Amino acid sequence: MTVQREMRVAGDTNVGKVRSTNEDSMILEPRLGLYVVLDGMGGANAGDIASQMARDAIRDYVMQRRGNAPARQLLEAAIQAGSASVFAASQANRERHGMGTTVVACLVVDPDHLVIGHVGDSRAYLLRQGRLLALTRDHTIVEELVDRGLLTADEAERHPYKNVLSRNLGARPETRVDLVDVEVLPGDRVMLCSDGLYGYASTEAIQYILGSGDAPEHVARDLIELALRGGGGDNVSTIVLEAPQAAPTASTVVKTSGAMAWWQKRQRFLQIAKDRGLPKNPIVRGLSPDEALELIGLSLCQAIFHDLEKSTGVNVWTFAQNLAGGWFERGGEWSAVRGLMDILHTCARVCVDEIRSADTQLGFLLDVAVSRALVVAELALGGLLAERLRVVDTDLIGLQSERAAMVDRQAIAAAETLSEDPDAAQPWVDRPTIPFLRPDRPVTNSGVSDEVSDAMAKTMTIARARTAPKAELVKQVLTALETVANDAGGNFATAVLQAREIYGVRSVDDAGVMPLFDALDTARSVTASSVQQIQATPATRAKVLLALSTAHQRLVGATTGLVLEASIPYGDRLREVQAITGELRDQVASAEKRRAALERENATNIDSSLPWGSRGTTEW
Amino acid sequence: MSDVDLAEAVSVLRDEVLETAEHGDRDPPGSEFFEALLRALTVGGESVPGLDLALHDSVLRRLAWGDSEEVVLADAEMVFDRMVIAVHRALRDPEDQLVVIESTTLVAVTVARVVAMAAVARASRARAARLREEMAQRQLREVLEKQKATIARLETENDNKDYR
Repeated sequence: MTVQREMRVAGDTNVGKVRSTNEDSMILEPRLGLYVVLDGMGGANAGDIASQMARDAIRDYVMQRRGNAPARQLLEAAIQAGSASVFAASQANRERHGMGTTVVACLVVDPDHLVIGHVGDSRAYLLRQGRLLALTRDHTIVEELVDRGLLTADEAERHPYKNVLSRNLGARPETRVDLVDVEVLPGDRVMLCSDGLYGYASTEAIQYILGSGDAPEHVARDLIELALRGGGGDNVSTIVLEAPQAAPTASTVVKTSGAMAWWQKRQRFLQIAKDRGLPKNPIVRGLSPDEALELIGLSLCQAIFHDLEKSTGVNVWTFAQNLAGGWFERGGEWSAVRGLMDILHTCARVCVDEIRSADTQLGFLLDVAVSRALVVAELALGGLLAERLRVVDTDLIGLQSERAAMVDRQAIAAAETLSEDPDAAQPWVDRPTIPFLRPDRPVTNSGVSDEVSDAMAKTMTIARARTAPKAELVKQVLTALETVANDAGGNFATAVLQAREIYGVRSVDDAGVMPLFDALDTARSVTASSVQQIQATPATRAKVLLALSTAHQRLVGATTGLVLEASIPYGDRLREVQAITGELRDQVASAEKRRAALERENATNIDSSLPWGSRGTTEW
Repeated sequence: MSDVDLAEAVSVLRDEVLETAEHGDRDPPGSEFFEALLRALTVGGESVPGLDLALHDSVLRRLAWGDSEEVVLADAEMVFDRMVIAVHRALRDPEDQLVVIESTTLVAVTVARVVAMAAVARASRARAARLREEMAQRQLREVLEKQKATIARLETENDNKDYR
């Protein structure tokens, strides 16, 4: 693997399982910032010659002229030089007539900027925030007919010439090169590959491996392995470039160094808890001091550690709820819980102060994170206290109702005694009534009026203006929202279609899914505040927000459905693999039995030709 | 905005939204989301501190009790659907309606995010477990190869001894 201006790069190539020669060629030149994949073609072993000639010509051209021309012109001219070189060779030798090669080349201008140039059907992909984007478009006859509107996408799929190239290096002395500028963000990955990769591996699988977080050399090797497993019917080559990661954020520091520093302090935490009298607290009465410390002190240490690792508060919340919930159920006093929490607070404070004295910056971040965890624990306790209060409230209401019923009965009895008129026996009693309307159908948007439609359009214009220019995903969500909200039928299918559109191809992990939900949340917040800014009556604004919120809820529901759908195969695959492991275990067990039987048999074989003392023994 | 206490006004809609009559003494499905909505209305503001945590806790609790992610999501959708109908009828002031609709959407979206994250976490666990299984398979295959070699050797030795 090589390092190019802090950019990590690796490449790999393989002849495949069918072909006898590798007609692909590659350039990995970190000094020049030049990375190229070429896929040669032509009979009589001319394919490999074409790709090698083009490779040498491109490399030499960039080597001689780097720094003398802008990157785009340099790369285009280098590829043209490659084409001229292959064309000249094919004209000079009859056997090599018609040879050619595809090319996809990447020139690193600086760590934030790349130029991609390509001819033919070798491709470049960009993986950004878990999403895979194609940077190139294949130069095939069918693709160009589709571009000109002469073929539909469906017709193109079935077209006999769908794999025939419309451009390559070597067919003519000059060729048309497509160039793409790529602004690179921290953590982006760019992959160059020949058709031997994407022809034998699904886009989802490529995206999964590219987004795995493994080092580029492992990714390149795994991608080759993927194509070979898919059949390996062609030569396969790939180069993976990874932009440097952004500087670690405070939350990353807390997740890694902070969590570890905290965990290393656990013995100190327990020591302080012991000194402060934790084992004497009524909640842990009946336990030995060590058990008490482990049950309470170590559990909290663990809970905080896991919450720091994951940036959540769930573990501490659960700890506090279990601790206090069990105690309250046994009729325990609040003061015992308070006392215990105070001890734990002190222990945490001392540990954090000690970390801070050793490393001020880490200590500060940890101070904030641990304080947050302790606040979460207090919130959980607050919730439990509110629950207890509600129970008392319910009892009081019950008592009050019984009393009211008794008063009613007395009033009826008194009325019966006072009057013989049967109507007079029905006293008027004032009771609160609860409006009850049973919704018999789910809400659907039965279309919106022109007034609301206009107001909605204004809202979306304001929302788009308030969205950051680079927040493409948020803009996409806003468009989807508008489509779903304007859908006169109000059916769920529109939401599903729009959700599929914005979902695209994503990895089922935090990096793939979180940005989507962040975008949905941002869109919700932006539309809600934009509704307040339009010139309309409050009633219209309420209708607009209702339409947009319903659309938003549908869209989020459909998106979550897609995430659930995407997560199902992981469980299925696990079950399949588990079944294979079970079979292997059975095979090992039966082989073991066979081996043991043979050993026993071997041990009892006595060689009668030897004297008695050397005939062997029976091994039982 | 009117002087109506929105949390109180919405809490009156509990029976209507959750169909409490259908479920007797048990907590009706979606009650945790309705409670979260009341809390959001009580706290107010664009973001509600602790709302995601509370919903995270209640969703994970339901999943732990065996409810599927789809069921949890459907309950949140039901609360949303019924709330928007009920609010339109029960609150006269459009400004009040705006506030309640916004909070209801916030709750529904947060639940969906928590459910999606739970699914992602489940997929990650399955992926890790599959890698462990594949490593175990590799070791088992190695063991099997060694066993086959030993068996072949022992069979040859036995044959030779029999012959002698």
